[in-house]
Amino acid sequence: MANPPEVAQLILHALLPADARESVAGDLLEEYRDSRVPAAGELRADLWYWRQVGGMWLRAYWWLAVPVLLLLVVSDVFNTFRAPSGASYLDGLPKLVLAVISPLGVVGLLALTTAYGSWRTQRWQGGLVAAVGISVLAWLFAVAWWGATVYPFAQVQQVNPYWVHAWQWSTHRAAQHSDETFLHWIFWDNVGALIIGGIVLFGASFVCGGIGAILAGISSQRRHAGQKSSRGGTQTGRRT
Amino acid sequence: MADILGSFEQAVLLAIVRLDDGAYGRAILKEVAERLERDVAAGAVQATLERLERKGLVRSRLGSGTPIRDGRARRFYAVLPEGVRALNDARKTHESVWRGFARPLKSRG
Repeated sequence: MANPPEVAQLILHALLPADARESVAGDLLEEYRDSRVPAAGELRADLWYWRQVGGMWLRAYWWLAVPVLLLLVVSDVFNTFRAPSGASYLDGLPKLVLAVISPLGVVGLLALTTAYGSWRTQRWQGGLVAAVGISVLAWLFAVAWWGATVYPFAQVQQVNPYWVHAWQWSTHRAAQHSDETFLHWIFWDNVGALIIGGIVLFGASFVCGGIGAILAGISSQRRHAGQKSSRGGTQTGRRT
Repeated sequence: MADILGSFEQAVLLAIVRLDDGAYGRAILKEVAERLERDVAAGAVQATLERLERKGLVRSRLGSGTPIRDGRARRFYAVLPEGVRALNDARKTHESVWRGFARPLKSRG
């Protein structure tokens, strides 16, 4: 019998709450083998299976992904459009607000996602899948956002003294008589930011996932210990 | 009157009524897709079933698995009296909204 992709099955298992894990995974497997593979072939059936898993992830965690995407947009807009001195227009905001809309806010949301994912699924893998999923989504969104905005944003940036200075400093540092244009420089600057940002994002999601895993493990052990002691207490009560 | 059911909730509840003893996740998914004449995401049906159970309109129990599902248990659903009432209310509202109109509705332009 045909089998859905192994990784997709693992993600599905980590994604589902304990009480739905068996039945939902069984429903998808049955539909995959009984309908999708005979009707459309294994490749299309695999794609269908991945779509179902992705859809279930989105249904569970979209509300945590939205603030991460908004933070990315806000931080990019205010990083791009600055005062001629280079100061951010957000500088006047209270420090707490600045911390929330900084990369620290994204890490905080990843930690929250991990904790929620671990709690919802009652297993550490659930938190990890939630956090890594947010990272994948945020990175893909960042690539699309950057693709759509790099040129229009650059039109504004190239007349701002702050960015002009940054361009000149960067190109002169690379070569004494560099003739690299502003647009070429900002393009590759953004590519570098996407690569480094992606590495940091995935790193943070794995660290948060790891912390969530440890916390979920401790809480699960305590829950089991609590259940054992309460069962013991009930038995003693019945005997007396 | 409780909250009016959405059209997808009605489709899921009616699928359970139609399937009777055979109303488990995958059968409900197929029935809903067939009635709505479109592909339906398994996650959408699953989320709706969970919501209907939380609202007290359906109840579920675990049943045996089959070889095609590698023995994984099936969750069977049944509509509770409150669910039947909600379906009847939804139909009444629907009919009341449409009363007085010829079907199909013709555009004036």
